[in-house]
Amino acid sequence: MSNLIAIFFGMALVNNMVLVKFLGLCPFFGVSKKLKSALSMGIAVLLVMVVASVVTWPIFHFLLVPYNVEFMRTVIFILVIASLVQIIEMTIKRTNLTLYNALGIYLPLITTNCAVLGITFINIDQAYTFPESIIAALGAGAGFTLVLIIMSGIRERLDMADPPLAFKGTPIAFITAMLLGLCFLAFGGIIG
Amino acid sequence: MGARKNGFYPVMLLTLIVFISIVALTLTNAVTKDKIELAKKDEIAEMLITLFPKMEGFTYDEKSDLYIPLAEQQPLGYAFMAEKSGYGGAISILVGLEPDTTLRGIRIISQQETPGLGSRIAESFFLQQFPGLAVDDVELTRKGGEVDAITGATISSSAVVEGVRKAILDKLNQLRRET
Amino acid sequence: MHSFTKNFLKGIIRSNPTFILLLGLCPTLAVSTSLDNAVGMAAAFTSVLLASNIIISLIRNYVPIRVRIPVFIVIIATLVTIVDLILQGFIPALSKSLGMYIPLIVVNCIILGRAEAFASKDNTTNSIADALGMGVGFAWAIVLISLIRQLLGTGALDLFGHHLFTVPGLGDNPVTIFLLPMGAFFAIGVLLALFRWMGVSTGE
Repeated sequence: MSNLIAIFFGMALVNNMVLVKFLGLCPFFGVSKKLKSALSMGIAVLLVMVVASVVTWPIFHFLLVPYNVEFMRTVIFILVIASLVQIIEMTIKRTNLTLYNALGIYLPLITTNCAVLGITFINIDQAYTFPESIIAALGAGAGFTLVLIIMSGIRERLDMADPPLAFKGTPIAFITAMLLGLCFLAFGGIIG
Repeated sequence: MGARKNGFYPVMLLTLIVFISIVALTLTNAVTKDKIELAKKDEIAEMLITLFPKMEGFTYDEKSDLYIPLAEQQPLGYAFMAEKSGYGGAISILVGLEPDTTLRGIRIISQQETPGLGSRIAESFFLQQFPGLAVDDVELTRKGGEVDAITGATISSSAVVEGVRKAILDKLNQLRRET
Repeated sequence: MHSFTKNFLKGIIRSNPTFILLLGLCPTLAVSTSLDNAVGMAAAFTSVLLASNIIISLIRNYVPIRVRIPVFIVIIATLVTIVDLILQGFIPALSKSLGMYIPLIVVNCIILGRAEAFASKDNTTNSIADALGMGVGFAWAIVLISLIRQLLGTGALDLFGHHLFTVPGLGDNPVTIFLLPMGAFFAIGVLLALFRWMGVSTGE
């Protein structure tokens, strides 16, 4: 149990997808201008990460490994993620229109979100068990959502700030990300 | 163009592309498979030589999972792999023991620690603290051992130390049970 | 030949994938801790982009819109796996230090983006020019960032095991923070501001 907790917080805070692993930078800078869209994007990514981990882990260990075709991993995983995103999109559209209106436009973007493919690779490379990989996906998604929300909060205020002209917009967003990363560095102590 | 619009053609095309992909990958895999295996073995062999410079060759005992470096058909000691989770993921370590089971030295085979901080566990100033230690001294100085942690990378340093000590204890127990 | 040159040049500065379009930043920031990694990543990335642009421009008239994205993804994923296997077999040290960022080239927005926006609409010659230009654009960006990070972060410059030189005064007291992940954010943030200050319009 303590192992699972360590994995969750390790993934969410210490080895944060965005700030440490540099995965999912496109939505991090692209969708972090407004708090509401950041939250929707974060939840959509969290959802796809967990579902993708649940599906790809058994595929790798019960299909690719027994037949000695581990080298097909990249092709199979990306196809699985692309199909999953389609299925999730259709399901949400049919069952919950409010949710679809909130998440709808972000879902197709997630197929090419490296954080999702990244977490499925991490699950395999770290030799996580099935429950561990689900917790890792939950942690990674939670960490992603957290920094996206923090970042959008900062950026909403940043719009009113007055940095040197050359830094306005994207450059100052990168500097902000750096400071955020420094803060997250302090979380390193909790898994010691 | 008419045929291309109906439902059958796109599916056929996708199937064909996937089929070509599988063939291409299987061929590449057939060519590179042995090379990749060899590269992995070479890596361990290279690290073994730096631990046992007099080594002329080595054997690997699958049952006990031990690498035995040899010179003139005589074993120079033992080596085995240790693994421990560090700051950025699993660290794998090659541990070398003298025939009298004191520590010959360690080498880092792979790690994903923070570059410039934790990744320095693979540098010689850290590794050179290990040769000659008894199992119980393989511990950070602040916990009463003989190994100084790297400044700013206590987690990585402690992971190596813990991993090595546990691996040696496990291995000694296992050998005792077998003999 | 005129359009070849034009398509080649645009990726280098005017539509530079890293500094102007701000695409495919994950590998640029993640593996730019050393010059070796940057050169390796640039080579791997350009080979995949070149091959994918060639193949996709050749089959562009046979792929219906409905299955375009899945077809492109399968082709790119196959090429990436081939590059990955070759690296593992022939340059294992590089393959290890680039780790999962090699297979992650699959989801690099630049490659799928070029397939969608260029190779699926234009002929093979232009697609080759486009891929080479984008490749060079990506390469100089990642090499520049890695140069800054390695020089300041280690106080020295090494390339493939050869020590080139040590920065006076920094060799013993390097600014380690440049090797940490946040150093990458800082480097690219300052570079972007610098380009903008020089009058280049970086993308929003």
